[in-house]
Amino acid sequence: MYRIRFHGRGGQGMITASRILGSAFFLEGYEVQDAPRYGAERRGAPIFAYVRADDQPIYERGVIAQPDLVVVADDSLIPVPAAGVLAGVDDHTVLLINSDESIETWKQRLNLCCKVFTLPAQAEERAELRFMGATCTGAAARLLGAVSRDNLARAIRDELAEMADAIVEKNLAMALDAYDRMQQYAGSVTTKTQTGAGDYRKPAWIDLPFEDARISAPDIHASANSTEVRTGLWRTLRPVIDYERCNQCWWVCSTFCPDGAIKVIERTPEIDYDHCKGCMVCVVQCPPHAIEAVPEQTAQLQDAEQGASS
Amino acid sequence: MAEQSVSIYRSMKDLPSTHLLGTGTPMCAGCGGLEALNQLYDIIGEKSVFVNAAGCMTLLSVYPFTPFRGSWLYTAMASAPAGAQGVRDALDILIQKKRMNPDDDMQVVVLTGDGSAYGMGLSATSAAMERELNFLYICYDNEGYGNTGQQFSAATPHGAKTATSTGSAGYPGYKKDLFAIWAAHKPAYVATIVGAEPVDLARKIEKAMSMKGPRMLIALSPCPTGWDFDPKETVAIGKLAVKTGVWPLKEYVDGQVQHTKVPRERRPVEDYLELQGRYRHLFEPEKNVRLISEIQKRVDDYWSNVED
Ligand SMILES: Cc1ncc(C[n+]2csc(CCOP(=O)(O)OP(=O)(O)O)c2C)c(N)n1
Ligand code: SF4
Repeated sequence: MYRIRFHGRGGQGMITASRILGSAFFLEGYEVQDAPRYGAERRGAPIFAYVRADDQPIYERGVIAQPDLVVVADDSLIPVPAAGVLAGVDDHTVLLINSDESIETWKQRLNLCCKVFTLPAQAEERAELRFMGATCTGAAARLLGAVSRDNLARAIRDELAEMADAIVEKNLAMALDAYDRMQQYAGSVTTKTQTGAGDYRKPAWIDLPFEDARISAPDIHASANSTEVRTGLWRTLRPVIDYERCNQCWWVCSTFCPDGAIKVIERTPEIDYDHCKGCMVCVVQCPPHAIEAVPEQTAQLQDAEQGASS
Repeated sequence: MAEQSVSIYRSMKDLPSTHLLGTGTPMCAGCGGLEALNQLYDIIGEKSVFVNAAGCMTLLSVYPFTPFRGSWLYTAMASAPAGAQGVRDALDILIQKKRMNPDDDMQVVVLTGDGSAYGMGLSATSAAMERELNFLYICYDNEGYGNTGQQFSAATPHGAKTATSTGSAGYPGYKKDLFAIWAAHKPAYVATIVGAEPVDLARKIEKAMSMKGPRMLIALSPCPTGWDFDPKETVAIGKLAVKTGVWPLKEYVDGQVQHTKVPRERRPVEDYLELQGRYRHLFEPEKNVRLISEIQKRVDDYWSNVED
């Protein structure tokens, strides 16, 4: 059985990518399972989806614990523990990462012996991001070696049937291009027999006493403690204020920020990057255009360089 | 005409520059509903109990985190006004029994999506107004069931695409006039607001806070996820909703409806529609002139009945 996990951020098309791959497998005659997993969070937040494909009925359920192939649409997710990108990855797993950094860098950074492939990250324009899913599916299909070019194309047309023709064509082109580029690595993904239910061993359970309702009910007694959640990790673009240009109007960016992540101290706005989700409303609304959108990765690199030189 | 009370919010510079609601919530990047909530929470303040019906906003407080500084309570979709009645009664009893200082009293605020407000929760809301419940009701109207993937609701506008209204004509129904339905109950206050017009919003919340009885607000909430637009356009789309006349800003007090911002030269509705993916089928593969003019005509008809 093939077990494939797709990781991305809401809005990057990973759910669709997994659906397309599932359909392509189905067209090849496989039994298929395909499920998206959303958290309580939305566009920009880490999400994943998974596909199982086998020539026999699939009885396995739930999240894939030991993947054969992990596809990562956004490499900034790898260091985020909550995203679980590396969960269950072992030497047999193949990692396909959408990233501008080299395969060697990733292997070294993650201390991994498994096979790693990269897809050079696409344009940083948000409009292009929606096609990233197609690129990932195309490359994944070839690495699996189990899906033909024709069935990949058919699955894309089926799954995207409701979209405008131009968009379907663009998705097709991106997916087939990625499929062709991975030609020499076709069939790199291997399957692995997993622990069956019969071999299941009970974990060492810890008994937790049943507490009084006052303690065990999920009441929150804190005030505004949502600030503990670092939604800044969602960001792919970072708004950066040019204080030379800011005319200290003081209200526009701060009032319009949907997240309340800009406060103004003595007429000077300050963006809270731990929580800014990168919607870019401030960039569009700032009257003197004093806020610029910088790709988050570029901004992080600059931060790191500045940190190193100081 | 009744004497205009003086607002402390004359211009944007009078609005708060730091915010009360906590950051780090799980709403989508660019959520217009959260933008409105941030603005109004600054004015309502922490002496409040929010009663929140199931929808996107119930994810604001997911154990163990909350952005609220005061209290918050979760209810099923149809039941928030009933929940608010319980909370109001409890507060009143505590005060009456002198177990709570009247100065510590709290605003009871219902917060629901349009699925609840225009649909499932309408009957409970009607009953609460009938009982003259002393509460604030805030509906963030993203014109569909956002939390479950934008299925249509009774607030979905004609022609918009939703998860359950696909095809070249979009949603066949018409957006329910909730403002008129609410106003027909003759509650203390009814108003429409939008986060893209923060001064108008602040004045209305300020006014509502100074009153007692049922005070009802509908906040148009541009939703990048459900309406399919780039999150950075949230405010631009909210402003266009007002400038095209699609979203009239108005209030009902003492039996009178007043428009608080009349767009002098209304922009064509196309300017508003064209920015949103949920209307893309009106422009591609070719322009659906008939449907666009129908939408325009409804807006024109509305404003031709407005005296200024
Ligand atoms: C009685 C009932 N039916 C269905 C649901 C499932 N449900 C949870 S949120 C939601 C959508 C609510 O839509 P809306 O009120 O417009 O709020 P939004 O999600 O747009 O914020 C639904 C159907 C529910 N919680 N209660
Ligand atoms: S789906 Fe829409 S209304 Fe719901 S959180 Fe996202 S942007 Fe806000």
